[in-house]
Amino acid sequence: MKRNRTSPLAIVALLASTLAAPAQDKKALVFVVNGASDFWKLAEAGVKKAQEELPNYDLQFKYPEQAAAAVQQRLMDDLVAAGVAAIMVSAVDPKSSTEALNRIGGQVPLFTTDSDAPDTNRVAYIGSSNTDAGMQAGEIALKAMPDGGKCIGFVGLPGADNARERIDGMKAKIAGSNVELIDVRGDDIDMTRAKRNVEDALAANPDINCMVGFYSYNPPRIYEVLKEAGKLGQITVIAFDEDPITLGGVREGSIAGTVVQQPYEWGYQGMKLMAAVLEGDMSMIPENKLVIVPTAIIDQSNVDAFEAELKQRIGG
Amino acid sequence: MFLKFESVSKAYHGIPALQGIDLDVARAEVLGLVGENGAGKSTLMKILGGVIQPDSGHVTLEGVSSNGLTIRQSQAAGIAFVHQELNLFDNLTVAANILLHREPLRGGFLRLVDEPAMARLAAPLLARLGAEFPADRSLSSLSLAERQLVEIAKALSMQARLIILDEPTSSLTATETERLLGIVRALRQDGVAVILITHRLAEVQAVADRVAVLRDGRKITELTGPQIRPDVMTRHMVGRDLAQIYRRPARPPADTLLEVDQVRTFRYPTQPITLTVRAGEIVGLAGLIGSGRSELAGTIFGLDRPLSGQIRVAGDPVPPGDPRAAMTAGVCLVPEDRKACGLIVDFSITDNFALPNLPALCRLGLVQRAKTTTLAQEQGSALDLRAAGMGQPVRSLSGGNQQKVVIGKWLARAPRVLIFDEPTRGVDVGAKGEIYGHMRRLADAGAAVLMVSSDMEEVIGVSDRVLVMHEGRIAGELTRDDLSEQSILSLAVGRGQDDLHKEKKRHIA
Amino acid sequence: MTNRKNLGLLLLILAVGATVALINPRFLAPVNLSNTANLVGLFGIFAVAQAFVIISGGIELSAGSVIALLGVLFVDLIATETLSPLVCFLAMLAMGAVIGFIHGWLVARLGLQPFVVTLCGLLIYRGLARYYTEDATAGFPFGASFPTLEWITTGRILGVPNSLTAFVVLALIMGVVLHRSAYGRYLFATGRNEEAARYSGVPTARILIAAYVISGVLTAIAAVYFAMYTRSISPSSHGNFYELYAIAAAVLGGCSLRGGEGSIVGVALGVVLLQVLQNLVNLLGIPSSLNFAVMGSVILAGVLADNHFLRRRDRP
Repeated sequence: MKRNRTSPLAIVALLASTLAAPAQDKKALVFVVNGASDFWKLAEAGVKKAQEELPNYDLQFKYPEQAAAAVQQRLMDDLVAAGVAAIMVSAVDPKSSTEALNRIGGQVPLFTTDSDAPDTNRVAYIGSSNTDAGMQAGEIALKAMPDGGKCIGFVGLPGADNARERIDGMKAKIAGSNVELIDVRGDDIDMTRAKRNVEDALAANPDINCMVGFYSYNPPRIYEVLKEAGKLGQITVIAFDEDPITLGGVREGSIAGTVVQQPYEWGYQGMKLMAAVLEGDMSMIPENKLVIVPTAIIDQSNVDAFEAELKQRIGG
Repeated sequence: MFLKFESVSKAYHGIPALQGIDLDVARAEVLGLVGENGAGKSTLMKILGGVIQPDSGHVTLEGVSSNGLTIRQSQAAGIAFVHQELNLFDNLTVAANILLHREPLRGGFLRLVDEPAMARLAAPLLARLGAEFPADRSLSSLSLAERQLVEIAKALSMQARLIILDEPTSSLTATETERLLGIVRALRQDGVAVILITHRLAEVQAVADRVAVLRDGRKITELTGPQIRPDVMTRHMVGRDLAQIYRRPARPPADTLLEVDQVRTFRYPTQPITLTVRAGEIVGLAGLIGSGRSELAGTIFGLDRPLSGQIRVAGDPVPPGDPRAAMTAGVCLVPEDRKACGLIVDFSITDNFALPNLPALCRLGLVQRAKTTTLAQEQGSALDLRAAGMGQPVRSLSGGNQQKVVIGKWLARAPRVLIFDEPTRGVDVGAKGEIYGHMRRLADAGAAVLMVSSDMEEVIGVSDRVLVMHEGRIAGELTRDDLSEQSILSLAVGRGQDDLHKEKKRHIA
Repeated sequence: MTNRKNLGLLLLILAVGATVALINPRFLAPVNLSNTANLVGLFGIFAVAQAFVIISGGIELSAGSVIALLGVLFVDLIATETLSPLVCFLAMLAMGAVIGFIHGWLVARLGLQPFVVTLCGLLIYRGLARYYTEDATAGFPFGASFPTLEWITTGRILGVPNSLTAFVVLALIMGVVLHRSAYGRYLFATGRNEEAARYSGVPTARILIAAYVISGVLTAIAAVYFAMYTRSISPSSHGNFYELYAIAAAVLGGCSLRGGEGSIVGVALGVVLLQVLQNLVNLLGIPSSLNFAVMGSVILAGVLADNHFLRRRDRP
């Protein structure tokens, strides 16, 4: 983990430069995420990479101080007020924020990422298809449990679009097979509750033989509970995203596989896309306005290569 | 007759609170209602207010007889109460308090408060009472006496025809009391009837046309004209002669125990105070409210750090600003506000007794329960505490018994210097005598006692010597032979001792 | 009176437990009880911490943020600095004490309101935690193992989790301090009527500061236990709302927010009830989103019942 050794003086300088930014003639492109997580560190790396190639733009990466729609909305309003040129956002609650997103989109070109808001005036969506990712998870399940199985899922916010699409995608893929997803437990992104949910699921359902962690921190909690209960290997674990523990589990064989998104690419490609659009080049945007960066299945065979690439991107 | 009670009785759980009370109040009459705590005064007033109904008997209000009043009937007849604890809001203005819930409105459905109309309505009421503050002043800036005027103005604004004043003067200075009694007389002139409930019998004597004395739920007697004298009332109230409630010291005072040397308090930073109290002596500290007496008491006890100067007990300096150090030196304080400062009213008698004595009741930092119980029983019986048990919360005790608990907290420490701040406020006559007895016993046992009091009778009766404070300084000292209400008052209002002597001479001449 | 209150709470726990066991007998399975006991231990430690502050007449809103900040520091110190766990643990206790001292000092010496002081703490510590890791999750690398530390924090003896044992030991010690020692008496007196306590020679400022320091140290212990339970800490969400769990447990257990009232047994029972409720939501398959609603309703019912019975008894 990276330690922050920035001195207070540097923060003041940083703040000053941020405030001074609109005064410069460099156009600012901002990537706004929905909350703090490691996942976005990769996107941030992609944005940094893009900055090298876009010296005429000032690329920024913003975390709202809370994962709440209102907080994120205020952050974007402030950015628009500060005169940024374009915004790419992973909206906290895209469904009910249509109007608010339209307001932003009416003032600056607005792009969505991570979870789309198709009913808004956004220019385009760039990111994964969570439904496709869910289907890939189903693929892992079918391959790992040819004789069928009973799965229980764990997720942060079961009602969120990305969660629902992943769950629906998986259900669509396993429909008609002997593999079933009987329940999905939510934890409001509280890791203690996430772990407890796994413990309780194990206690309440002795016949369960497969667990799915839909948010990046869920598979590590599953892994820990199974390890403490001595059930690693007995229960098939299907994961999403690339938490170090998840990748360790995949390498060890105790996690069947994980579906990873490419946030690095979202950051990198997204920024370049925004710059292109600002310069009037719409050629990168397809008819349906969805720029899909495909998700990938990582299993024991390709985990080492994947991890090396990650290290290089974050460490780079 | 405006109001007439006929053989009214009331019992709570079979215990009689009132037995066959006959009482009447005429228009434009001041009726004094006296009796010890528990004599039945408040039960009678609750019946009058319609809060409770009598078990038997009749209440006749303006010629209409009934078995009891409702709150609505009582209010409609113009009966208003001014309680000891005022029902006012200090975050509102005077006018807003007077007209609370009856504000003149404007602006139709917006229901805006018509501020100018408020002031117009409140001003004449305040003028009638001789108030010197405007109606738009915030209540928080008023003194207690002024707030009482607001409460009376509120009663008048509701066209009150009978005003009940419940212990109205217990927190007032002598001048303020005099003014209030003047207002009572003026109300009588205007045809308003007044029932005055108080422990201060001199005031009853000064203003009442008639006095009803209650004891143990019965009306013992009614007094009129020259019969209305404190000693007569006291005799009827307690059923025996209380001439002996003040006792003189057993022996002359010994060496100086408490020395206050050039101490300046935060209240009057420019006035250094020097005083001494000898062992075996009770020194009264008189003066007007706000003259700096309580601040001095708090400073001696270490609640506040003196700005300069030194406090010594038996010649040894006491570390300033630390109650524990003062306690170690043998200084104790019975504070003015019993409920806020003297006691934790939700705690049991035992726990209150134990609180200042815990270090002595502990072993290895743990409280020895048996020891606290023993302590409580010892103090309880030494003080003749009347309570169902020592586990009873202090809240449920009478004022006099609560005050005994405060005193009992300190007795176990064998105190050398005791400071009493208004020791008998809200305490009935019988308990007063007991408290004075304890003070005298402590002094006779060799303690130095300093008593802050605004009750003239008490200052004159209890003190062996009196110091009078005026605006932060000791304005003068009076020995027993010089003690009189007049001599204390003239020092308290800032007329020097020399003026006093001159006046005396003039009288003689 | 306190005893009757506690008895009522115990009956409520038994009633809820019996109902759950009837619907899903697996509630009584040793593994489930053991898991629940583990969480009772984790949440119990800082509920006792909260009780000390509430009895002092204050409130400690920063507990959740302190758990996040100290958790992040603890994991980071062990994982990256490879300091001895014991040294790290002692360092966390010291930090907890310092935080408590600052709060107590601001409340007792400067006369600031506890709500305001600890609300600021809530924001400050959360912010520091996030800044320290730059919003990344602090976690142990895959396969990291600290046998002694893990045994003390997450181990079990005959199925009894060591976290519960730690809680019981701490609760016993704190129970003696609160209910038997002179300090405890002073705390109750100061909490109920600070003026009267001062007039009785109680050094109220020192008593208050000590209450916050005790609370800070206990919270630090809880922070370490939580860190070892989740093994990875996302500084933006770890410990969110935990102060409210603690306040809820304390109030259920008979602590009055007016101060000067409460018992350790009551607080422990309050914690047990809250954790049984969490367990119930999972075991009965109630949608996770209803979690807080269930908890809030039961607390309200408990307080109402208590109020009702108290009134009945107070009537002559």
